[in-house]
Amino acid sequence: MRSVWALLCVVCTLLAAGVARAAGVARAAGAEARIARFLDGSASHTNNWAVLVCTSRFWFNYRHVANTLSMYRTVKRMGIPDSHIILMLADDMACNPRNCYPATVFGHPRKTTDLYGDNVEVDYRGYEVTVENFIRLLTGRVEAHTPRSKRLLTDDKSNVFIYMTGHGGEDFLKFQDAEEINSYDIADAMQQMWEKRRYREILFMIDTCQANTMFSKFYAPNVLSIGSSGKGENSYSHFYDRDIGVSVIDRFTYYNLAFFESVDMSSKHTMADLIATYNTSLIHSNPGVRSDLFARELEKTYLTDFFGAVQEVELTAEPFPIGVRPAST
Amino acid sequence: MALGARLRALLSRRSEPRTVISMHRERQVAVLSILVVLLVGLPLWWTTTRVYRADLPAAEVRRLAPARPLRLPLVFHVDAGALEARQIEQSARALVDAQRAPLAPGEWRVHYQVAVRPGPAPDAPGHYTLRLGAPAASAGRGIEVDPGRSATVLAPRAAAPDALSEAIAEIVAAEERAAHGAHSALKYAPEYAITLTLLNEDPVDGAAVDWDIEQALDAYLRPLARKMQPLTRLSLSSQVLHHAGPPPVAPLKTANGTRLTREMLPHFVNSPSWNFASVDPTSPMLNFVLFVPALAAQPMRIAGKPRAEAFLVSQWGGVSIANLPAGTLPGAKVVLSREDLQRHMGYFVAQLRTLIGIRSDVPLPQRAAGARPWVRVRQATDTGVSDWELDALLRQWLVHNRQTAITTLQSLVRLVESLPNMVVMDEIKTQVDQSLRALHAVDAALGRADYLGAFSSAAAASTLAEAAFFDPTMVSMLYFPDQHKLAIYMPYFLPVALPVLAAVKKIIAQWRRRKPAAAAAAAAPQESKKTN
Repeated sequence: MRSVWALLCVVCTLLAAGVARAAGVARAAGAEARIARFLDGSASHTNNWAVLVCTSRFWFNYRHVANTLSMYRTVKRMGIPDSHIILMLADDMACNPRNCYPATVFGHPRKTTDLYGDNVEVDYRGYEVTVENFIRLLTGRVEAHTPRSKRLLTDDKSNVFIYMTGHGGEDFLKFQDAEEINSYDIADAMQQMWEKRRYREILFMIDTCQANTMFSKFYAPNVLSIGSSGKGENSYSHFYDRDIGVSVIDRFTYYNLAFFESVDMSSKHTMADLIATYNTSLIHSNPGVRSDLFARELEKTYLTDFFGAVQEVELTAEPFPIGVRPAST
Repeated sequence: MALGARLRALLSRRSEPRTVISMHRERQVAVLSILVVLLVGLPLWWTTTRVYRADLPAAEVRRLAPARPLRLPLVFHVDAGALEARQIEQSARALVDAQRAPLAPGEWRVHYQVAVRPGPAPDAPGHYTLRLGAPAASAGRGIEVDPGRSATVLAPRAAAPDALSEAIAEIVAAEERAAHGAHSALKYAPEYAITLTLLNEDPVDGAAVDWDIEQALDAYLRPLARKMQPLTRLSLSSQVLHHAGPPPVAPLKTANGTRLTREMLPHFVNSPSWNFASVDPTSPMLNFVLFVPALAAQPMRIAGKPRAEAFLVSQWGGVSIANLPAGTLPGAKVVLSREDLQRHMGYFVAQLRTLIGIRSDVPLPQRAAGARPWVRVRQATDTGVSDWELDALLRQWLVHNRQTAITTLQSLVRLVESLPNMVVMDEIKTQVDQSLRALHAVDAALGRADYLGAFSSAAAASTLAEAAFFDPTMVSMLYFPDQHKLAIYMPYFLPVALPVLAAVKKIIAQWRRRKPAAAAAAAAPQESKKTN
């Protein structure tokens, strides 16, 4: 495998000119997108969705499942209903025979919260977590018989939070040890979503090695991206648990969650506040933020814009006089 | 045949000792045969690895860009002679034109085309009867709107034609304004899945509550569903959830009962433990919740307007709070009868109208007696939606579906062009063609003022366009960078390519060496001639 990538790197340098050209195209598309954004800035925001993806199999990747489940609990606590959360877990750690605490998943050696407790709705599990299914989910091109829980039924009023974790490298993220998704694939999928106005804004967060390369190819508008580590950097795990025998969470995700703990449904924390907490000496890598495609200022973008239950509410002053006999007939 | 001869020669001379010439021939044969394999193989490789792309009618789709305003006909039938009708039409059109702002560049609008005809109106969308009446002595000029497709203009006989044309102009102007307002309503769907839920917070310390929902549905919601049937299907279902548990927000305690503040309302329903899941994979869901608070929390009120007890949650549904009669004891059995439910069903009807975008200000907003002209709109209390309102919704959905079809087709064409790796099957082309045909049918039907025909064609056009866009086969082949392709083909071709290229080089070198020799040989006699 390593030799193939080495070979790719060699060829990559040969094709550097082509890549530079592609980057130019992406910039031009960005300018167009800004205009598009200006033109339809009126669409209001009525619902939040979350797509949480763990792409790793096998026991030693316990922490990736724990990352995703922690995120799941957080977005749920902040008010996104299960019907608006698509949870993809590539493996079942709770029922793994090597799990000495059966039917549980913990994200901290203190083991105070069982992440797999109750009311966990896994929408795509095990071998259903594939690159194809993920792309189909985002673009809405699912088979006709797909149940509602496996569809991303978003519209131009939806903010979508996409969280991915797994093993990756420059411009790719591995799915299931068998295939990988490319940064171009996600970028194209997002563009297809935008074409059909399947989102209003996207927050893309990824915790993997060289994570920041994964959003470098994005060109669809209104996408804010956060990654755990720069190009050439690894992302690191946290809390090796001696009972479980593996690390239970990743550093970047852990420190994000630590901040989210201070956030509730009515919080006024902004994305800028979240990004300000990133501390390289704790995370051991350099988290990256890409906001050039994002129209709003991070100081004015509340976390609840993506995580909370935003619902416009209107009092119904009086009932419709249904079934009331009109007086004058 | 040259190759055949060479091959035969090569085979027959196999046992002969190798000479420089035979080795050279061997090399030529080897290189030639590889070239032949490449020549045959390349087209084969090309056809088998090619991405199939049906030829979409891209030019025709691009031509759909709406440059002109969309013209929708509105026909008013008046009780007057043909000549008078003609005059009313002209003055109404002049009034409408005068009210319109000029088109900004790039702006797209809906324009209503007014026609006034004498005689009775057919009972179809887009046709309205305007009657004339004498106003009561004290009340000035006014308009009385019926739930059916008719209205009475009350004006003195002498001012009647002016009153009619002004009323028509006003109705048209209001419609045109509304066509471009922001709508927070749900998008059009051929079916809405409506679930009514009775939520009993605590039946243990409270009452065991049930409801006569079937009777209530028959009386208050099914007439509406039947009326909407030509446009969309409202599928109604109901459920009772006992032991629902408290909402995620705790209401404030007051002197008698409890109170929900405005800030609490957005978080009231979003409880993971209240299960509103639907089995329907795609239809939009609307939830209407009748919430019975625990006895200790009763009566529960919403802060703000006096007696507020219901609220609407945008895109989701509505909630109404049912307080039980004072003095209900824990453990009592309470059945909410059809009469008890009437007020709550009234809230749900009002909320449902807002959620799917039925406007209450059609054809004109209610105006008090002092206004000139005053407007009195009689609500459709038997069905929940008047014909005027239904027609306005029909026109809004018609325009929306037509626009959706156009933008979806254009997105599809753009997308297919931008992703050369995307497979485009023949079915996609068929759907695009059908959608285009349906779009033409919309315009043809509008020309005949056949709204129901135009509506169903527009709905079909948009459904077909969306089906093409979201077709499961329309998933771009995953990104294969050129590096990957090289990495795949190199192990096969590199070991073969190196000796072949070396042989070609040798052949060329030999050929070059021979050419000067041949040229010299050809030149030699000439030179000898010269010397002679």
